[in-house]
Amino acid sequence: MTAAEPAAPADRARRRVAARAWLRRPGRALRGWLRGWWQVAWTGALLLALVVSPASYAARHRPAQARQIVAAAAQTLAWFTLLALLASVVLTHIVIVTAESYGLTRYAIEMVVRVLVLELIPLAAALAVALRYSLPAAAELAGLRRSAGWSSPAMRTPERLRALLLPRLLGSVVAVPLLAAISGVLALAVAYLSLHGLTLWAMTGFTRIVGQIFDPATVLVFSLKTLAFSLVVAVVPLASAVHDAPAASRTRAGLRALSRLFVLLLLVEVAALAAQYA
Amino acid sequence: MPPLPADPAAEAAAETADRGLAVRAAVLLVALALLFLVSLGYLLYARGMFERTQPLVLIATDSEGVRVGMDLTFSGFPIGRVRRILLADDGSVRIHVDVPLAQARWLRESSVFVLARGLVGATSLRAYSGILDDPPLPPGAERQVLQGDATADIPLIVGSARELLAQLAALTRADAALARTLVQTQQFAQRLNEPGGALGAVLGDGAQAQRMAARVESALQRSEVLLARSDALLLRIDAAVARADTRVLGEAGLLAEAQAGVGELRGLLADTRASLARVDALLAQAQAIATDVRGASTDLDLLRAELEASLRRVDQLVGEVNRRWPFARDTELRLP
Repeated sequence: MTAAEPAAPADRARRRVAARAWLRRPGRALRGWLRGWWQVAWTGALLLALVVSPASYAARHRPAQARQIVAAAAQTLAWFTLLALLASVVLTHIVIVTAESYGLTRYAIEMVVRVLVLELIPLAAALAVALRYSLPAAAELAGLRRSAGWSSPAMRTPERLRALLLPRLLGSVVAVPLLAAISGVLALAVAYLSLHGLTLWAMTGFTRIVGQIFDPATVLVFSLKTLAFSLVVAVVPLASAVHDAPAASRTRAGLRALSRLFVLLLLVEVAALAAQYA
Repeated sequence: MPPLPADPAAEAAAETADRGLAVRAAVLLVALALLFLVSLGYLLYARGMFERTQPLVLIATDSEGVRVGMDLTFSGFPIGRVRRILLADDGSVRIHVDVPLAQARWLRESSVFVLARGLVGATSLRAYSGILDDPPLPPGAERQVLQGDATADIPLIVGSARELLAQLAALTRADAALARTLVQTQQFAQRLNEPGGALGAVLGDGAQAQRMAARVESALQRSEVLLARSDALLLRIDAAVARADTRVLGEAGLLAEAQAGVGELRGLLADTRASLARVDALLAQAQAIATDVRGASTDLDLLRAELEASLRRVDQLVGEVNRRWPFARDTELRLP
């Protein structure tokens, strides 16, 4: 009994420390979560500042930028265009057959254009660029940083931002609108051919309907949405590569970047839908 | 950063590769810019930015379903586009339509504009030009829009139908007057079929109905007796009438006698008239006599006046004698 008494306060102290650590854990997680988003925003702001700075396009940076632009577009353009074409054919056929069965053929083109061109294709282009180019590019950058042993502040020097991050950002920012534009035009052509066949006589009516769908507000929302998609796809993986600790698991860092990417894409899509239809 | 190449051959190869990359990147950027510009141009063309148009203002009472950019159609072909929709100070809706000059020839002074709403699908704005030889519609013309709305009457119809159904429900309710009437009619029909028959149904009580039936029967028997006696009475009345006929209208009847009496009365009246004529004459004579009597009475007045004067003189003379004669005596002289 007398031997157990001195042990009790130490036990209590240990428990108190454990409880305090348990209580602090959610706070730490919240702080980490907020810091992660702040780093994304900060990196994005830095990169946008560089995008609008003429010095970023000096001759010595151009080869790297050209390389990344070609890499981003060339890696995705062919297969994405093919997939978008197939999806357009299938979806357009489904919509037109359904519309015909209800006697609503005149609304088929409008529906195809709204669903495919305005909503699905930009989102699909952003996801394709993210999966095929920007996430691997960020992983490559993280590997380069690990091998060179650069810390996070060392990555954020203007020279390294210009030489390493900006070309990759430009690659994504060019690739997403390019894929969306090419696939959108193809989807319009598929819709026209599915509905009218190989004739040019229906072009006037088709053009008129397209003109009615793309009113100024829709064009503005569509353009801003595509731009936002491309920025999200470009910035989020790069921010993760710059700020995450080099020793951290590559898979875990990639997953974190991917989840942030999806959340932001979803937010942009919801905001665009709200702006257009609300 | 990528490591720099060490020897000149590699450097030249890298430079060539860089140049190739730059060209490809430039092609991609130019393609993107071209796509953007072509898309923009196509959209502007699709929205009619490159067309020369003339304005047309359509005035409607309701702008529901009308939206900016919608077509004005003629025979199913779009010939104009809604540019803006305004609410005027008088509460009417002014729909500004841009009609391309190439299509303006379909609109004439006599054109009619209709805003049609279907049950399914969008609202449509249609133009009808019956007489294409009419003068063309001038730019900026204002026209009223006729509104053909397939759904406008639905609330009215639904309201009426609801009211009708409510009344029908009230009519067919178990405690409704109609249902009660039908039940009572059914009971009435059942009682008509019961032994009491219509009488029982009318009186409502079987025993009372039987009593009433017995009384009716006895009343019928009595009325038969009464009828038999009435027949006898009628026979007697008939005989009496025959006798009266003989008495009154026969040859020696009352009527013949009355006729003779009337003849006598007529002779009597003639005699009376003659007598009256004689009386008239007598009266005339009496009137003449009366006139003579009136003249005689005038003479009598004179005579009386003279007599009175003589008497006064006698009176004066007697008074004179009395004054002179000492014996008192009554001197008053009385006239008859």
